[in-house]
Amino acid sequence: MNNLSMYVARESGLHNLHPLTKSLLVLCLLTAGLALPGRWIGYIIFLAFILPLALWGKIFWELIRAVWKITWPLALSVLLIQSLFWGKGTPIFEFWGIAPKEEGILFAFISIGRIILTMSDFILFAMTTRPDTLMISLKQVGMPSGLAYIVVTTLQIIPSFQRKASTILDAQRSRGLETQGNILVRSRALVPLVLPLVLGSLMDVEERAIAIQARAFGAKREETSLIEIPDTNEQKIFRRILIILIPTIILFRVLWQLFK
Amino acid sequence: MAIVQVSNVTYKYPLTDVPVLKNISLQIEEGEFVAIVGPNGAGKSTLCYTLAGFVPHFFKGELTGLVEVAGMESSQTTLDEWVLNVGLAFQNPFNQISGAKYTVFEELAFGLENIGVPRDEMRARVNEAMELTGISDLANRSPYSLSGGQQQRVALASILVMQPKVLILDEPTSQMDPIGTREVFGVIRKMAEQGMTVVLVEHKVEWIAQFADRVIALKDGQILLDGTPSEVLTSPILEESGFGISRYTSVARKAQELGLWKKDRLPITLDEAVEGFSLALAPSSSPNRRGEQLP
Repeated sequence: MNNLSMYVARESGLHNLHPLTKSLLVLCLLTAGLALPGRWIGYIIFLAFILPLALWGKIFWELIRAVWKITWPLALSVLLIQSLFWGKGTPIFEFWGIAPKEEGILFAFISIGRIILTMSDFILFAMTTRPDTLMISLKQVGMPSGLAYIVVTTLQIIPSFQRKASTILDAQRSRGLETQGNILVRSRALVPLVLPLVLGSLMDVEERAIAIQARAFGAKREETSLIEIPDTNEQKIFRRILIILIPTIILFRVLWQLFK
Repeated sequence: MAIVQVSNVTYKYPLTDVPVLKNISLQIEEGEFVAIVGPNGAGKSTLCYTLAGFVPHFFKGELTGLVEVAGMESSQTTLDEWVLNVGLAFQNPFNQISGAKYTVFEELAFGLENIGVPRDEMRARVNEAMELTGISDLANRSPYSLSGGQQQRVALASILVMQPKVLILDEPTSQMDPIGTREVFGVIRKMAEQGMTVVLVEHKVEWIAQFADRVIALKDGQILLDGTPSEVLTSPILEESGFGISRYTSVARKAQELGLWKKDRLPITLDEAVEGFSLALAPSSSPNRRGEQLP
């Protein structure tokens, strides 16, 4: 699929879960990992839930790779900043005024755990859920279809927007536009590149609006959908449990904070 | 009662002073295949948008006169209702892809989902439309991965699948090769024979000559000529007004000037040209095969 979505097409139980079940599940895991007490809870949820789920969804290595790519620069900067700029604490060593603190490093690792959990949670969902099925199921629970349309099309149209930008770039270069050099040269090149892109896109929007209107997008009728999203009674029950569980976790955390 | 009834329509786009359509009146019968020709800026696309309901409902602007299509009157009907009876496909196929679907099959189903067609019927109608337009083998491809000509077929199919009473097509074959164009014209012809009313804007006069029932020539927002392809496409007025004419007609006109063309009427298709030139070139006694090889 030539679009921005991270979806990885596989045949797996996780892929076949109803998108609402899946979104509640990842929301619940995220809430648990961020709200439950305990320093290492982020890592625990990641190891005990996210990774097994990724295995089930047959996207284990894809997930690890994606999480690593996004997380390591963040993790590195968190580690450096927290360890070096921690106010009062026990320095591990001192060298030319550089004194990383033990407490800072500990805090950094706790934060990194949360980052890993948050990233992997979203990626797990994005890799196993087709955006259009998500939107269909959200429409079924009351999301306006215009909003659903915008979300799905954006994922597909941005890559075509990029292609268009590079066509304009080639066209203007071939007519002798200087696009390389110092800041002044580059910023001068910006107008003839951005203007056609923006104006052209506005015209595209008008045509697209006509095209979807011609296909009864505005019709005030009960919509149907070609794609059938399988749902089971077990999943419906599971969703109810999750809907109760998520606020319970938050409530538990609040009470814990009050009475510990 | 005509299915399309346009009476004294004048239309100005917003923020402009010059009307694009000037006092247009025309009637189209059910099942008719009408082609509209005209130079750039003649108002062809605007006329299409008018018949399809987008003028004035989408573009706003100032419309006077009466537009009636399939029993609906433009000023009394919303665009949402209008499009259920009138289908529109236009030139740029890329912008006609909804962007919300991942395969051609789903893309075709988009319109049917919007009007609440049950799933089984949807599948059947999509399959039928794909077969008709020759895109069945593309069913599982992404609409964005297709060539311009293929995308145009998808755009046409996604309107055909809606089964409109009136089909408005604004240069639907602009990115197609000659084989694709012939196939699409064949499909349009077939739809007209099944009772669909078709209004087609097209520059490729040779195809119009072969397939359309009627041709309307538009210039500066006014109807210049209206009649059968043979009447309109061979009219001297057409050439004087800067329209493209079929090469068969122009060759025969040259021949006529030299006194070689013997028939009353100029040809608009290859067959007619061959027939006329065989008559002109063959001595009455011996049959001359050369004539048939002329362009």
